[in-house]
Amino acid sequence: MDDRFVPVPKEAEDRLPPESSASGKLLRYLLRRLPVWPLIAFFAKKKVPQHKHSAWYTLGGIAMFFFMVQVITGVLLMIYYNPGSPWQSVQRIVMEIPFGGLIRSIHHWSANLMILTLCLHMFSTFFMKAYRPPREITWLTGLALFGITLTLGFSGYLLPWDDLSFFATRIGISEMDKIPIIGPWMGGILRGGPDVTVETIGRFYPLHVVVLPLALIGILGLHLLLIQVQGVSEPDSFRALPEEKKKYHKFFSEFLFAEIPIWLFMMGILVLLSAMFPRGLMPEADPGSAAPEGIKPEWYFMVPFQMLKIFPGALEFVGMVIMGLLPLAFVAVPFIDRNVPEDARGRLVARAGIAVVLVAVAFTIWGWLS
Amino acid sequence: MNYPVWDLAFLGSGLVVAIIATIHIFISHFAIGGGIFLWVAEWWSGREPDGAKIREWLHKYATFFLIYTTVFGAMTGVGIWFAIQLASAEGTSLLIHQFVFVWASEWVLFLGELTVLYLYYYGWKTNSPRLQLWLAGLYALISWGSLFAINGILTFMLTPGDWNTQNLDIAAGFFNPGFWPSLFIRTLVMILLGGLGGMVIASRIENEELKEKTIRFCVKFVIPAAILTPFFAVWYWTVLPASASKLIEGGVVGVGGGRMEAITAYFLTAVVAGAMIVLASTVVYLKPKALTMMTAIAIFLIGMTGITGAEFVREMARKPFVIHGVLYSNSLWKNKAADPDYLAQPYLEKAKWHPSEMPSSLERGEWLFRLQCISCHTRDGYRAMKKRTASWSGNFGVKWFERMHEQGVMPPFEGSLEDRAALTEYLLSLHGKKENAADILKAVEAELNAEKTKMILQEAGRVPDAIPPEIPDNPEAVKDVPADENGMDVQKDNKEVLQ
Repeated sequence: MDDRFVPVPKEAEDRLPPESSASGKLLRYLLRRLPVWPLIAFFAKKKVPQHKHSAWYTLGGIAMFFFMVQVITGVLLMIYYNPGSPWQSVQRIVMEIPFGGLIRSIHHWSANLMILTLCLHMFSTFFMKAYRPPREITWLTGLALFGITLTLGFSGYLLPWDDLSFFATRIGISEMDKIPIIGPWMGGILRGGPDVTVETIGRFYPLHVVVLPLALIGILGLHLLLIQVQGVSEPDSFRALPEEKKKYHKFFSEFLFAEIPIWLFMMGILVLLSAMFPRGLMPEADPGSAAPEGIKPEWYFMVPFQMLKIFPGALEFVGMVIMGLLPLAFVAVPFIDRNVPEDARGRLVARAGIAVVLVAVAFTIWGWLS
Repeated sequence: MNYPVWDLAFLGSGLVVAIIATIHIFISHFAIGGGIFLWVAEWWSGREPDGAKIREWLHKYATFFLIYTTVFGAMTGVGIWFAIQLASAEGTSLLIHQFVFVWASEWVLFLGELTVLYLYYYGWKTNSPRLQLWLAGLYALISWGSLFAINGILTFMLTPGDWNTQNLDIAAGFFNPGFWPSLFIRTLVMILLGGLGGMVIASRIENEELKEKTIRFCVKFVIPAAILTPFFAVWYWTVLPASASKLIEGGVVGVGGGRMEAITAYFLTAVVAGAMIVLASTVVYLKPKALTMMTAIAIFLIGMTGITGAEFVREMARKPFVIHGVLYSNSLWKNKAADPDYLAQPYLEKAKWHPSEMPSSLERGEWLFRLQCISCHTRDGYRAMKKRTASWSGNFGVKWFERMHEQGVMPPFEGSLEDRAALTEYLLSLHGKKENAADILKAVEAELNAEKTKMILQEAGRVPDAIPPEIPDNPEAVKDVPADENGMDVQKDNKEVLQ
């Protein structure tokens, strides 16, 4: 054999289709040129434990699917979106561009469902205690991804430049101004001046379509690589099982085949939601006018919104401190709760988690109703 | 107008009908498709060496099938009757009177369906395999017969064909142009659902070899049906009334401004769902062993989203009618609407169900709203009038009611000029605006130029020379009239809420 080519490894020979078949020929053709078998073997190792809580393992993939939808619909929207005349261009997308309103609605709904899925994903890994050593870094990258996604939501919200998006952004950044020392400086950088203007779009637009998505893709790659290297975390109850009772699905040849139809289902849901509840466009932002009555942030910012509301006036800093400490508490979780199986400290963390979920749900509903 | 009204806040009666009917369709289509599936699966289990194991799975399927279809199917079926007679008593009455014999057949078929299903299910252990096969076949046939009957009435509402209020030709109404394409589409969708239901039950099979075999058997129902359905949808498309296909193609510019893309989007929902089902089933066919119950349910639910989309298209395409070209959604008969004198008569004097004494025009306006608007609209919920009238002025409302039917999705307004002003007064009051109907009328008279005023007054049956001499000639005042080159655009400027 010509030494320019690499031999097909024996393990590969055992698993490839027979050489007489077309797929067997093609795969051997590729493997002789590209010595990637170790890489394939590396990915083939990934397996997903099967137990009664296995359904939660699909959430990360669903969130990733929504992100893919965001990229595709986002690129389509960029074709017609014009940061120089934002409102007019979005109006054109909604009114004139074929299926423009639909694509915009899908982008909107997919964003919301992506954040919702991430919340569920985060809390499912939290309660399955997947963050414990040695998986701290996976947890931290996950938190970073969640933060980036929320920032994507916030920055994308301004882009249509209608009444709602303008005032929501103005209020959101003005809360940031209240952070001692660095607050006004950060607010100024984000706004590009003392108030939200079209200048702000000049900052939010590249942030929304370039910086944040690239950061997300990079960190997501790391997040997935860590799971690949360390394997999917197993809950204590599953670990305690005797070896012969532990059942797994191979990730690439089995689990994914059960996951993809769920993605397709989500696609159907996205189109249905966009058909039934299309995203509207309010009148063009008028910075001189008063904020529309009862203006509220999107549901995923309802917790900080309510938190600041219940501490009025001079006490407002209490709400800000709580909201500032919450992300830090999430970061600290894997360093507090470390032991397998769960000890007293672990149970405390789990209870604290339940409390956070209950308060978050209650605040969101409260904010939505009030 | 001859019946009491169902003033349902937030949802509105139309949406309640849609919700109940859509759920009923989920169930009834599975009830028939599952019957066909059971029959074929019975036959298949008799030919396979491990037929006994297949029949274990089939028994689970039959249990799920029996509970799901008989309990929930019957409940929602009766629910439709409750809801439609409240939403459109006039339309329900027409359907009953025209199709008495069909309803009777439907009832007999339904009874037969239940009887045979019970014989089949409860005879599982005692009946011979041959008898079971016959019972399953009989069930499939009878239940499909019930589709045949109801399909004629359902399609009649969108495409009445040669039926009209003079000939009352039942055969023409039943075997209307939409009958056959709709029958084929529904039969295919049923077969598809039967296969998807089979996948849900098969996802729990422990024996891997049996699981693989059974799931592949189910997929063979799903993919052909999903691929064939669009062809019959195209056929259906060709028999739709021109106004209906125009609605689906372009959407219309709605009263609140913005392109009403909903109907197009619903159409897409059905198309996307079909494509997703084909893809998902292909994935399942490739790796049947990997199928989990959650995934199988997800695929089943894609079918539900598609059905929801398709049924909404069919319902919306009928706008502004309950029976296309015959009876408007506000219970106005089309043949009566052709007479301008009839339309312009004071409405409440003709309508039966309202208080006899209504001194204020605001109250009259609210009753006009109840009698003519709420079969489709609500005050501030689904298809909210509050949102749609946000930018209205008094004289705009009066003019709008005169011409709203010209844009194709609204029925003509039935009532006098005073009625129009009273209804406008009521709608403006939803925003807290207090404009008396008499003032609105004065404003209409004062603001229109002489020619326009003359036209409106003539149509209202008033004497044209009653125009006060002091009316300023002000063509600017009519810029609000709801018409552009399409007669559709009522958006005054870009500042309106788009939806």
